[in-house]
Amino acid sequence: MKFFVFHLMPYPYLPGDFAERYGSAWISIPNALYDPKRGHELYNRYLDELEMAEPLGFDGVCVNEHHQNAYGNMPSPNLMAAALARRTSRVKIAVVGNALPLYNPPIRVAEEYAMLDVISGGRLIAGMVIGGGPEYYSYGINPTEARERFAEALELIVKAWTTPGPFPFYGKHYQLRYVNPWPRPLQTPHPPIWIPGVGSLETMELVARNRWAYMGIPYFHIRVFERNFEFFRECAERFGYTADSDQLGWLTPIYVAETDRQAREEFEPHFWYFVKNLLRGLRITPPGYTSLRSLSKILASSGDFLEEVKTWEEVEAGAYAIVGSPATVRDQILHYGKKLGAGNLLGLFQIGSLPGDLTEKNMTLFAREVLPALRRELGP
Amino acid sequence: MTLSVRACVVNGRQARYRQDGAGEHLLYLHGIGGDFLWLPFHRALAQEFTVTLPVHPGFGESQDDESAAGMEDLVFHYVDLIDALGLGRVHLIGASFGGWIAAELAVRYPDRIRTLALIDAVGLDVPGAPVAELFLSDPKSLATLLFHDPAHPFARLLAEADPADPSQVSETLRHFKVLSTLARVGWNPYLHNPKLSRLLSRITAPTLILWGEEDRLVPLPHAEAYRKAISGARIERIPACGHLPPVERPLETVSRLLAFYSVEKSSRAF
Repeated sequence: MKFFVFHLMPYPYLPGDFAERYGSAWISIPNALYDPKRGHELYNRYLDELEMAEPLGFDGVCVNEHHQNAYGNMPSPNLMAAALARRTSRVKIAVVGNALPLYNPPIRVAEEYAMLDVISGGRLIAGMVIGGGPEYYSYGINPTEARERFAEALELIVKAWTTPGPFPFYGKHYQLRYVNPWPRPLQTPHPPIWIPGVGSLETMELVARNRWAYMGIPYFHIRVFERNFEFFRECAERFGYTADSDQLGWLTPIYVAETDRQAREEFEPHFWYFVKNLLRGLRITPPGYTSLRSLSKILASSGDFLEEVKTWEEVEAGAYAIVGSPATVRDQILHYGKKLGAGNLLGLFQIGSLPGDLTEKNMTLFAREVLPALRRELGP
Repeated sequence: MTLSVRACVVNGRQARYRQDGAGEHLLYLHGIGGDFLWLPFHRALAQEFTVTLPVHPGFGESQDDESAAGMEDLVFHYVDLIDALGLGRVHLIGASFGGWIAAELAVRYPDRIRTLALIDAVGLDVPGAPVAELFLSDPKSLATLLFHDPAHPFARLLAEADPADPSQVSETLRHFKVLSTLARVGWNPYLHNPKLSRLLSRITAPTLILWGEEDRLVPLPHAEAYRKAISGARIERIPACGHLPPVERPLETVSRLLAFYSVEKSSRAF
């Protein structure tokens, strides 16, 4: 199993009455609530936290893209990846991912990812996402075209990396007379492609068909991960092969402290800050953004979404976060890791308003007291 | 009394419509408030006209058409439907989203339109009077946006809808599908065509602009914008009425329309 540190770079300073006063942490959340002076400290602190992953022995770091919200302050994850590429030398840098339909023309993604791959010496993992529902409001992109644009942009990007340029590309949504990106990526034929998803059937089929890797987005009951990963493996069989565990990623909040009790006490208030404030609006689904088939599946599992969870007991029962002493966290990751059959663990070691000192302690304890045992048990 | 749904084929796709009455042909292009059903409003008009009420692609029983990606496709769809059903020159009424389609059709095919009535139509961008957010609205807030009278049966139906209720999944999916159809045409620019106001001068048919005085979705200044841009058009306001006069104030709406038609008829006679 490979171990990654995933950061959302959330905004932890929302007012105490935020949930009552504002409907959503997305789209319409007034940006007067953002304080750039604190933002300066935050970005630098969050980057420090990601940079720590290398000396601590993690395999990689992950950043992602979100727009006009307090949940994740990385409208351009590629900027963060560029900073990380210069401050690390060993870890993989996973951008999970660029929201392809939001780029026009999407050849920009092929170019920037190639830059990152070349600068980092071939350490880039190229994540491609459809983009969150709220982002179709924020960027004015027609959600009824989301799937088509995503598929076409992805085709264009992979082709740009694998076909000698220049060549013309005439799609339904993107037309380019000259596709000829400089630079080309360092990894051949191209950087590994990871695609995160919340369980949309079309996305899982697409990923399985192309033998790319699927990252299950967290905040669902563990049984939703199990179902989705099982579906992914079935898809792979239908496409004539057995899925490798490397093709699956389990993204989950993790918190380790000296004892179970201390872990819960330190972690819980910051986690509920996340659930009560930052998750609000994440599930906004604009019309046409998903097929009716996937929507009915998403509706059916909506009770299993973290926003509906009210007590810590439910959090534990659904493994919405892995929290406890080193022994507890180790056992849970072994248990669920085997159950899910995922070869990549993407840990959110910072979430909500978890402050810098606790985040650092969390990562350090995990690396020293949990990681070695996991590597022994789960292999490289 | 329910009127049975008929089917015709337009450009290879099944389209559903209802039709009743006698006399000159009247074509009603529906909006988003359930007015694709045969309502007392249509029944009253059918006393004077042959009323045809088609269901837009993607709404109700009509086949979804993902290739109908823009207003142009819808305009062609209705011109073809007029021909397929042999309606000839029509009295055209469009309400809400249907009003936008009617306006776009009338600027492109003025000769096919006998008279035009636009009811709380979207389609224009009016600075200072934005169309309210439809796509982000849950059914409850939609009820408030669309209806002046919260006790109207359709408003109550909306207000009681709960997308989180598993027993209402089919309603939720249907609602999602209708909004998807609407989004395909009107996501961005939001429910308008920036070119439309300049094109409206091409309309030659006598035009009535009917508006619910308490429309919270498409505020009154939109009526004024249509009136200004269409030569000879006049406005009538329906008091104590929201976005859907044919649904909320059917008989008053019909009597205003009939008065308009009788004036037009007498002026034709001279």
